[in-house]
Amino acid sequence: MEEYLKKGIKDIITKFPKVADILNEYNIGCVPCNVGSCLLKDIVEIHNLGEDEEAALMAKIGNVIYPGRGIKIPKVQRKAKSKQIQYSPPIKKLVDEHVLIKAWLALIPEVIENIDLKSRAGRQLILGGIDFIRSYADKFHHAKEEDILFKYFDPNLDIVKTMLEDHTTARSRARALLDALEKGDERGVVEHLSGYKELLSEHIKKEDEILYPWLDRNLSMTQVGELYEKFDKADRAIGEEVPKRCEKFVEWAEGKITKKKNSRKEAVK
Amino acid sequence: MSAFEGCPGSSMQDFRSKNGEVKEDTGRRESHLRQWPIQLHLVSPEAPYYQKADVLLSADCVAYTVGDFHKDYLKGKSVAIACPKLDEGQDEYVEKIKSLIDDAKINTLTVMIMQVPCCGGLVAMAEQALHSAKRKVPVKSIVVSLQGDILSEDWVT
Repeated sequence: MEEYLKKGIKDIITKFPKVADILNEYNIGCVPCNVGSCLLKDIVEIHNLGEDEEAALMAKIGNVIYPGRGIKIPKVQRKAKSKQIQYSPPIKKLVDEHVLIKAWLALIPEVIENIDLKSRAGRQLILGGIDFIRSYADKFHHAKEEDILFKYFDPNLDIVKTMLEDHTTARSRARALLDALEKGDERGVVEHLSGYKELLSEHIKKEDEILYPWLDRNLSMTQVGELYEKFDKADRAIGEEVPKRCEKFVEWAEGKITKKKNSRKEAVK
Repeated sequence: MSAFEGCPGSSMQDFRSKNGEVKEDTGRRESHLRQWPIQLHLVSPEAPYYQKADVLLSADCVAYTVGDFHKDYLKGKSVAIACPKLDEGQDEYVEKIKSLIDDAKINTLTVMIMQVPCCGGLVAMAEQALHSAKRKVPVKSIVVSLQGDILSEDWVT
């Protein structure tokens, strides 16, 4: 059974499709992953399940691979006992930055519903959103991950590769969004805006719940201190203007959308 | 007598094994101490071994309870020890920790304390110093049981 612990999850799912349902049952989102080369043992370690949950998950997988043989899969070695997520200060900083990004993502459905590329204000809202995506989500936030945090880990790790692929896809979405806006292509704007929302929502969830806790468990105290200082230096290099401008944009967009919602309610009355 | 009858910090407890068995340790262990002095009143934040260091601020009793204290917690760190229950001049302690953060520009601070309530004062001192310091550094608090088990590890914010 040890050999399966060292096999890529996509290969296991292809050979034993029922494993996909078992992973879904434990909220382990490997099924839609477009890379899927993480090893089964790494997946179990990364998700840091409780001991009972891990034993039950492994027993179910064992049963699918060797039906009726009662095979037991060895317990996966891990660095820390499972407990409530507590981020180290530098990782907490990244999680806090996600809050503003999520606030913008939450506005996107309303932005799409009220899309109006013919008016200056309507175009300004989309343009502001693109600036937020590029300046805050990408240059301010993703850059810290790519230039600093991920450098502490093996670049060949599948989970890191997946996150980097998401960043690249997000950049293409932002480019395509701007192109569509410049051409006045409403359908294109809607497509890329909702594509970005879907991508980033899933990306942030993966980072907050899986990647960051796993990275934290593998960082030494010295590395935590170094990261904290490097993040601080990176923020100082970007300056206060960018995050302040982006915070103001989200506040402005929230206000605009709330106003629209209220006036819609009034009209219904 | 239960573990926490009376003052938990000074209530008597006997950890000897009932059948008198003593586990034999073999081999010689290296000390990971890389400085002197270590008592918080006596140390100077200007000392070279504190500059940009990962610092361990340990309650006096911790090193006696954690069997692998040197190997698992002292290794690679500069240390200062104090007793938040019995030591005098604790305002100076806060100033000294603040100076470690601001002047020695330490990389991180790990505060190790015993599970007894009076030991929490050491974490409170570190928090006070952190809040009054100009720089911010990651601070972790580790609580140790009377028999040397690690009960919790938490980031102090």
